[in-house]
Amino acid sequence: MGMILYHGEPNGPSLAVLAALAESGVEADCRPIDLLAGERHTLPGVTEPLARDMGIEGEGPVLVVEGEAMTESVFIAQFLDESGANTLQPKDAYAHWQMLMWCRRITERCAPAAAFLGCQATAQPRLAAMNQAAFGAVLNTIASEDLRVRWVAVAAGDFPEDQARDCIAKVTDAVALVETQLADGRDWLMGELTIADFETYGWLAGTVTLVPDAWTGKGRAAAWLARVRARPSVQSALARATLPNPESQWAPGPEINRWG
Amino acid sequence: MAAVTLYHWEPNANSGKPMLALMEKGVPFDSHYIDMLNFDQHKPEYLAINPQGTIPAMTHGDLVLVESTAIMEYVNDAFDGPNLMPGTARDLWRIRWWMKFMDQWLAPSFSMFGWKYFVGPNALKAHGQDKIEAQIAQIPLPERQLAWRKAVFGLFSEAEMAESGRRIGVGIQMLEAELAKREWLASDQYSLADVNGFNLAYAMPLSQPHLANDDLTPNIMRWLRAIYRRPATRECWKLGRTPMASRVEILEQDYIPPRAESEGIESGVR
Ligand SMILES: N[C@@H](CCC(=O)N[C@@H](CS)C(=O)NCC(=O)O)C(=O)O
Repeated sequence: MGMILYHGEPNGPSLAVLAALAESGVEADCRPIDLLAGERHTLPGVTEPLARDMGIEGEGPVLVVEGEAMTESVFIAQFLDESGANTLQPKDAYAHWQMLMWCRRITERCAPAAAFLGCQATAQPRLAAMNQAAFGAVLNTIASEDLRVRWVAVAAGDFPEDQARDCIAKVTDAVALVETQLADGRDWLMGELTIADFETYGWLAGTVTLVPDAWTGKGRAAAWLARVRARPSVQSALARATLPNPESQWAPGPEINRWG
Repeated sequence: MAAVTLYHWEPNANSGKPMLALMEKGVPFDSHYIDMLNFDQHKPEYLAINPQGTIPAMTHGDLVLVESTAIMEYVNDAFDGPNLMPGTARDLWRIRWWMKFMDQWLAPSFSMFGWKYFVGPNALKAHGQDKIEAQIAQIPLPERQLAWRKAVFGLFSEAEMAESGRRIGVGIQMLEAELAKREWLASDQYSLADVNGFNLAYAMPLSQPHLANDDLTPNIMRWLRAIYRRPATRECWKLGRTPMASRVEILEQDYIPPRAESEGIESGVR
């Protein structure tokens, strides 16, 4: 069963999945794609595109297995782990629930905020510089209407002040959560190294420059970040970068919760 | 085996997920009914269990668990009984994908209608404006405060409702297409994705009669009736105390024709 992993620059969900892949020992053909050129929406050989088209995560990596497009970085990471080394998830049911809760906290609250701020900083200028026809052509390939709306907002520089403030607060909360979680001296978020470390690292690594204040006085969180970064699996993911600063590469992410 | 207590409201949406998962699994539990429209979820006794003041919550011995879908996965992992996450690693991925899609994209759209037409007006009628203001002010989570304000005072914008309506339409088509491919939602075996989906979708033929019916969505109807026939589902829906739960009886009808959208809103329990 040949697998192809289409991934963006090693940041955010693409980083998390590339690292999980390396930890799992599973064989997959990794192919970098230019997310901001819309390449994710025109992948060859996809016969079951639903998860690619309607995923919550936005422009995350896509694992194609027998024509089925698999998305959502946490779930791809679980799939790789379960297909391979099986070391990245707690075996105890309650500890597993804790890991899932942690990942939900990151993907539902931190990820949309980090993607918003990251897109404002680096994706906006690139999309705004595209000519109208080229941008229109990309939009035409995006099946999900609400994902299309997020692309248009990024290109238009539509980043309302109050939302930006809320996103900074959410990133700051996430860093504080990591700092607190490590208070007992543990090395990894769940005690043992798990998917939660890679998912959290993916979304937070770029916030060191985006929201530097969030990291002030957060020594344990900063040391954890360096620890995750030093993992051979993360190093091998970072080695796949095609641009100098992968942690500054962002693309439209999950939407900010419509209920507040 | 340590005792399990589930704090839940009606078998519906989030509360119904762990209720039905426990029943399918055959795990005995103490049912602790929280009357959401009476704000039981914000009373000190309950906040001592779940300080966020949301339902459902489950205790297993000394452990406290929240978040309906994550509770279901715990129940499946922690207890003997039929495996509700069966199949290959890819099937498990698909179960998780559908649950996330429903939890984060589709269900919030349904619940916007439910809160606007049912939860808000009924709570206002029961308590009156002054008392309800005071109740809302005590809600721990800011986003739940906002939800209650919008529901009770009719503050959902037209654009918000239109977007939720659009998503419901898209989501129903996605479910129909998926259930045309296979017997169950995420794989060839009954799973937590079906438990989750039933809680979301069981009343659609009443609340979205123009979108979900035997003419337009035969596969959804086949799937809903099959889940309704399961003994665990029957037991679970008996724990309902309001007309909301009895909506499930529509699935006893062999043929449900399309009706106008307005009839869904008029049924009052959208
Ligand atoms: N994502 C949570 C949501 C929990 C939640 O918000 N539940 C609603 C009822 S479905 C609630 O507790 N509402 C009480 C309130 O807003 O006061 C889950 O699935 O368990």
